[in-house]
Parts: sequence; structure tokens; C-alpha cells
Amino acid sequence: MNTEILLLILIPITTAFLIPLIDLINLGFRKGVVITAGIVESLISLHILIKYYEPIRAGTFSLKYHLGGWYPPFGINLFMDNLALLFSTLVSLSLLLIIIYSIGFIGHHEGKYYVLLFLMLGALQGTILTGDIFNLYVFIELLTLTSSPLVAFKRNQDGTEAAIKYMFYKVIAGLLFFIGVILVYLNLGSLNMAEIASNFGQITPEMQLVIIGFFLTSILIKSGIFPFIYWMPKAYSAGPSSVSALLSGILSKVYIYIFIRLFWIVFDFSLITEAGLSRFIVYLAIVSGLIGHILALQADDIKRMLSFSSVGHIGLIIAVLFLNTTAGIYAGLLHVVSHLIMKSSLFVGTGYLLQFTPSHKIDDLGGVAYKNNGVFVGFIIASMGMIGIPPLIGFVSKWFILLAFLEEKLYLGIVLVIGGSLTAVIYYFRYIYQGYKRMEVGEPKKERHVLKIFYREKVVTSIIHVFVSLVLLFGIFYKIFDLPLRLAAQNIMDPSNYIKMILGG
Amino acid sequence: MIYNLIFVALFLLGFYPIFMSNSLIKMVIGLNIMESSVFFWAISMSSNKGLLPIIESGVAEGIYTDPVPQALVLTGIVIGASTTALLLTLVIELNKLTGTIKPDEVKGLGD
Repeated sequence: MNTEILLLILIPITTAFLIPLIDLINLGFRKGVVITAGIVESLISLHILIKYYEPIRAGTFSLKYHLGGWYPPFGINLFMDNLALLFSTLVSLSLLLIIIYSIGFIGHHEGKYYVLLFLMLGALQGTILTGDIFNLYVFIELLTLTSSPLVAFKRNQDGTEAAIKYMFYKVIAGLLFFIGVILVYLNLGSLNMAEIASNFGQITPEMQLVIIGFFLTSILIKSGIFPFIYWMPKAYSAGPSSVSALLSGILSKVYIYIFIRLFWIVFDFSLITEAGLSRFIVYLAIVSGLIGHILALQADDIKRMLSFSSVGHIGLIIAVLFLNTTAGIYAGLLHVVSHLIMKSSLFVGTGYLLQFTPSHKIDDLGGVAYKNNGVFVGFIIASMGMIGIPPLIGFVSKWFILLAFLEEKLYLGIVLVIGGSLTAVIYYFRYIYQGYKRMEVGEPKKERHVLKIFYREKVVTSIIHVFVSLVLLFGIFYKIFDLPLRLAAQNIMDPSNYIKMILGG
Repeated sequence: MIYNLIFVALFLLGFYPIFMSNSLIKMVIGLNIMESSVFFWAISMSSNKGLLPIIESGVAEGIYTDPVPQALVLTGIVIGASTTALLLTLVIELNKLTGTIKPDEVKGLGD
């Protein structure tokens, strides 16, 4: 029993419910509480990293917590292996940066904002750490319930429409997931993921396909692959920029984690390959990536452009993961890390720059670089990373993806990587050119929140610089991700280890 | 078998307004019917299956209904209620902002 992983879920949820109480006492305490909770969460992650460094290196790392003292396969268990550790640490550290950014950025209804943000952090950690498939469903629904009010947070028409659309897609996907869970329970009589993984072969082959079909459709809708991409750009662009960074940078990666957990570890991946589904999904994801990049070309709204580019990159990650080779999984995980950092830095940078402009449209962005050159240079560096210019992390991950596609001789994938980079050159340079155009910048709109207090501006710009320097540093020292990614890929390729660690031990 | 047919019929009945109706409220109701049909199906599939729950000694043996799906459905109902509440709140908000609940008249829902 390791209480650390329970605390990772409990601290954010407790904080979320404490915030309204603290607001009753004194509004001034809120900032302190929020930052403290974020730091404590990150410290726990770092504590796990340092304390269990030896087993992590050896690849035998596992932390368990059995809720209520019920041992698997009966109770709900929390479980952390190297794969979960990678995602959990990424989530808690990047969430800390976004929380600090939000303190300088969100100017209205802050209490409600932090309640939703912390509930979402708890749900993100829960999704990553849970070992029970129904509990996974509950946490996924909690993610939907907390993220859609954040999308509608600006209380304007755009945000509300986006949130309604987002909810419809996600609720239907949630229902399909629920049907899948019930089918699994009726066939196996267990909800524990390790138990399901070890007994899944006993179900009749037709039933196996039906179950996999339900889960696959559900997660494809939730992560936004080709036929279901239409909720994505609007939802990502309508909310405040910190929320866009959260949704596009972190939430979409957690859906990829669910993909990996379910289809590599719980259900045997060879079943998907035998049914011919894996190649089908690779092509679907590639089409989705191409559509994302092409639509990003025609978007004349900066946040919409960034969201369409997210569609493209999510497609790329899923395509390379579903190749089911070690190189593919390594490259996919590396791109998860690099896309998380780059997209978050682009969105937080955009959020800062947009305060100087009358609207999000490209024509109104003229001359925005002269307002704060430091931030705009950061924006340029992050977009160079997205394109894949050598010393940055985007280049490293795209390079490995290219190698993985080459190894499988999947030339359409190579077209996606190179074509995506080339279109990215065009659509990012349009905005960079516009930024340096010498032109009078219009007055900011009245209702938009403008950062007034000086130290808050300092907070926001410093977070942007932190993100951008991460893009640069990890690009040069990408080797530090080598070991954790290889260990996580090892976890993915060897599901029997997962069963052994939970049930037999 | 009859339960499966009812489930499919209800599910499709809920699916219809989501694509065909021109009112957001009706779409939310359709979503609700879909959810209810899934819960109904889950309960009907697990009743009188003979799967023994944990029974104390001295209780007569026989065919029992598995309690776990009921717990799952109860959780599902709670989640369904909260999603419906949130969706209706958003529809009210949209109505305040645009004065309509017809998705065709709201430009942004189409693209």
C-alpha cells in the first residue's frame, strides 16, 4: 500500500472543495491555497521519482493502493507503473505551470475557475492511476463534466456553442464506453483491469470484437480522430487561453494514455491486428492529420489555427502508436511529450499577445510583436518547434516518427510528417509576418479582460518563458527522456507484466 | 431477447432527435432517452442470471440478481443527471445570448 498515489488524486479534489469555503473567509487566501496545492502535487510526483529511482531504472517499479482494503480482483485499486508515472508526472508539472499562469490571466469568477481546474486535475490523475475499468469510466465522465464549463467560461456565444457541441459528442462517447463496461462485466464478472486482461481470451471471438468495437469508437470520438473531429477546433479555441492550453496540451494526451492502457494492456493488441483494425486506424489517423493541417492553412483566426494543428498532431501520434512497433511507440510517446510542451507554450503565448488586439483574426494581429518582443520571440521559437527546426524538441520527435514510419514502409505516414511540416511553415509564417508588420495595433475590446497589475504581467510572461525554454532545453538534451520513454514502451509491449504486478504479488 | 429489442428501439428513438430535431431541448431529451435505454438494458441483462452474490450462511440458495450492475447503473444515472443538468444550463445560456434554441439559427453550431 503506497499512500502517495492516493494523495495525487485526493489533494486536487480536496482543494477544489476547499476553495469555496476559503472564499467565504477571505478572498486573499485563494491564490496562496491554489499555488500551494499545485506545488504539493508536483512535489509528490518528484518525491515518487526520487524515492523509487532504483526500481524505476530497473523497470520493476510499481506502486499500489487498495481502496477500502479490498484486494484485487474485488475492490478498486490504484496502480502506477512506469507508463503511468510518465503521464502522471507530466500532468502534475505542466498543470502547476498552467495554474500559476491562470493566476495572472483569469480576471473574473476566479473561484469557480479553480474549482473546475482542480476537479479536472483530480480526474486526470485518477484516469491515469486507476486499475478498475468502471472507475475509469467515472473519471472520464468527470473530465467531460469539468472541461465543458471551462470551454464555456467566457460566457459568450462562441464558448457556449462550443461547449454544447463538445458535450453532445462526449456524452454519446461516454454511453458507448458504459455499454462496453457492462458487456465486459456480463462476460467476465469482473471490473478489475488486470483480471480482465488475464481472462479476456475466454470470451467468444465475436464478443471480443463487439467489446473492442465499443471501446474503440468511444475513445476515437473522445480523442477526435477523423470522422469525429468537428467538436475539437471550436472547443479548443473558444475558451480562455489557459483552458485551451489545458485541453489541447494535456487533456488530449490523457485520452491517448487511455488508448494505450486499454488496447495494449487490458485488451490484447493482437486481437485488433487480427481483425485488420490496426491498419484501418492508422489510415484513419493519417487522414485526420492531413485534414487538420489543411484546415489549419485556411483558418484566419489564430486560436482556430492552433486547434486545427492540434487535430493534425493528435492524428500523427495515434497513427504512429498504432503501428505497434517498439520504434513507433517510442516515437509516439516522445511526440506526446513534445506536443504537450510546444502546444501549451503556443497557447499561453497567444493568450498573452491577444490582450493587445481587438480580435483573434489574423488581420488584427498586425504589429503585435512590437508590444512585447520577448513573448513574441518565444511564440516564434515554439512555432519553429512545431514545424520541426533542428535544435528544438519538435524536430527530435518528428525525426523518430519518420524513422518509425520508414521502418514499416508506410509512405503515407511520411507524407503526413513532411507535408504537415511544410504546411506548418506556411501557416505559422503568415502569423509571424503579420506580427512584425509595422501597423497601428487597434484598441483592445472593452469586455475583454486586460491585465492591469504589473506583477501579474510578470507572472504570465515568466511562465511563457519557462515553457519556451523547455522547448529549447529538451530539444538539446532530449536524451533525458530516453530512459523513461524506453521503460514506458517496455511496459506497453509487455502486458503480462502488468497482470503479474497486480494479481500475483 | 425482448429486452434487447426494447433497448435497440429506445436507443434509436433517442438517436433520432439528435440528428433530426430542430430544438436543442429535444436533442437533450433524446440523449436522456438513450441513456435510460442503456441503463434499462444493463439491468435487464443482469437480472435473474443465477450469479451468486456473497451470501451469509443460513440464507436459502437459489437464483439471485447480481448486485454489481445495479451499483454501476446507479452511478451511471447520477452521471447522466449531472450531464443533463449541465447541458440544459448551457442551452439556457445560449438562449439568453442569442434568443433561440434552434440549432439551425445559431451559426456556430453548424461548422
